[in-house]
Amino acid sequence: MKSTQYSEKTLEHFRNPQNVGTLEGPNVAVGRVGNPVCGDMMDIYIAVTPDDRIEDIKFQTFGCGSAVATSSMITELVKGMKLDDALKVSRGDVADALDGLPPIKMHCSNLAADALHEAIKNWRAGIKPEDATKTPVDTACHPRPAEVAEVEIANLADYDGMGAYTELKDPAELADQRVVVLDTGDRAAQFAIDLTDHTGRVVLMTTGKDPSVSSAMRSALRLSDVKILAEAQPLELRGEGELERILVHDLNEDEEYELTADAFVVLK
Amino acid sequence: MTAPETPATTVRSSAGPASGAAGVTYADYQSSKPVDPRVVEAMLPYFGETFGNAASLHGVGDAATAALEDARARVARFIGADPAEILFTSGATEANNLAIIGYGQRNRRKGDHVIITEAEHISILNIAKYLEKNGFRVTRVPIDLYGRVSVKKLRARITDDTILVSVGWASNEIGTIQPIAEIAEVLAGTGIVLHSDAVAAEGLVPIDMSRVPVGLMSLSSNDIYGPRGLGVLYARKGVAVAPVLLGGGQERGIRSGTEDVAAIQGMAAAADIMAADMPAEVARIKGIRDRLVERVLAEIPGSHLNGHPTVRLPNNAHFRFDAVEGEAMVLSLRDAGIAASTGSACSSKTLEPSHTLISTGLLHEEAHGSLEFTFGRFSKDEDVDRIMAALPGVIARLRELSPLYQKTPQTEKGPA
Repeated sequence: MKSTQYSEKTLEHFRNPQNVGTLEGPNVAVGRVGNPVCGDMMDIYIAVTPDDRIEDIKFQTFGCGSAVATSSMITELVKGMKLDDALKVSRGDVADALDGLPPIKMHCSNLAADALHEAIKNWRAGIKPEDATKTPVDTACHPRPAEVAEVEIANLADYDGMGAYTELKDPAELADQRVVVLDTGDRAAQFAIDLTDHTGRVVLMTTGKDPSVSSAMRSALRLSDVKILAEAQPLELRGEGELERILVHDLNEDEEYELTADAFVVLK
Repeated sequence: MTAPETPATTVRSSAGPASGAAGVTYADYQSSKPVDPRVVEAMLPYFGETFGNAASLHGVGDAATAALEDARARVARFIGADPAEILFTSGATEANNLAIIGYGQRNRRKGDHVIITEAEHISILNIAKYLEKNGFRVTRVPIDLYGRVSVKKLRARITDDTILVSVGWASNEIGTIQPIAEIAEVLAGTGIVLHSDAVAAEGLVPIDMSRVPVGLMSLSSNDIYGPRGLGVLYARKGVAVAPVLLGGGQERGIRSGTEDVAAIQGMAAAADIMAADMPAEVARIKGIRDRLVERVLAEIPGSHLNGHPTVRLPNNAHFRFDAVEGEAMVLSLRDAGIAASTGSACSSKTLEPSHTLISTGLLHEEAHGSLEFTFGRFSKDEDVDRIMAALPGVIARLRELSPLYQKTPQTEKGPA
């Protein structure tokens, strides 16, 4: 069966999703599940009445056809429901309501029930929407140099000059290379921005949810072509004779993966 | 790859394939191409009139032999080869199996090391895995930011045990063309044979075996608008390959099975047409592709071109869009009557995003947002207009749904 062999009902919800958006107010909670790395991420907002009923519900989803359709479907299923009853709505119920999902999609793109349960959990725990989805708006007020400095790459020295650089380098020397700059503050971020004049691929890697830079630098980064890789910890450099890949620990998913790179810049 | 739901073109006797049949704008030529009606015409006599078995000794068999050898000579001419170097197979997949497994087994005593690249088609990757399970060592050479294999890195990986290097002529996915001539030069005189899967490139870039010393090459008939189910293994004189299918010993004992003369004549006709039309056709297709790339990058915020800006197949436009997932784009475009494809995990059987995109250095979340358009012989200028009438709206709608949208630098939206 092709991954895209969806039921008519699933396609209908994908084409015309119901209850798209966000909610605000003192009686609102949100559940966020998934991760853009995996290709699916959704936020489900619920507005709860004093007698524990879901008064209103909205969603935002990044993902494939079934990720969108399951989000839309669950908002219809549970609107008006008591929280306890809504907690009983399972992934299977959502799939059934859509007249089934392709087998391969049952696990990967059927996160809507999880997001709803997360929202209810957050509501009961008193976790506000902004804390459930957002990181502190301005980390300039809360710099985390200590956290950043803790990053230790055991074999950094093995690739010294062979792709690993610990001092500022002439950006032109890195032309057309895939450069990963470790977030060590404004100087590293500025170097990353300067590099974009010389290569199409510059990644600023940070262990935090956002780079630990000043708010002015944050704005500059947003306007630049620097790609931010958040919640990522470099573990080890790999490659034959020269740097080719960086083993990265995804701190959010607690998974390891390899990122292709030609240069890794760690400014001390 | 997502196959088109509706065949884009329906061949009716001698009428040309109507591009956009059933209202579909077909921009997925890399997945499948319609058979040229002139090719169908050329095949017809070989079903009922000249139907013989080329191995038979009677006159009916002789006519089939003549048709088979005539076709072999024409296909050979198309790629600057000698007819004796052309072996017909059931497709490029079988040619790849023969070239890598067949060559490896036949030449095992010379060494057990094979080099491929990180930009190869899944057909090559799976064959390489099979080799590894059967006692060979396989090394994968990294590619650069644009998907080009580094000749320097390839050279550094050659060992005394290396017997074969396999590099696709161009990426079927991001369209990057590999420096095949340069790699052939590096291997010259080493005794190491170069194999190239040229399926993505054939009919789009010049391929001439009299100029580039490739030892083995895989071709597909459909990729030059011939019938499906037929391919070619080009094996240069002196390059010995063991069969992977055993039987009656057809095709010099390397590929058993009665030759499908109708299909083979079809491929020969396709090669003749391509040889005559290629320069003009490629220029036209490139014009369509260039216009799409220009418009997408100019008109859609948060859009990027994957692959090499210039050293790429002239029919290939491979994009990624911030905060939008590929399968959702393909589904939405399908509703708008446009057939395209994606390297997103959500459209694959393995749920892994395209290995080629990841090897170029993209993050998973970026690879998920890829969208590929490939044009061909029956593409029209207005296809670009139809795509651009739909695509910006599709992306805007999916971004409206996406919680990631506000985070992209190119979008000047207020806070969520």
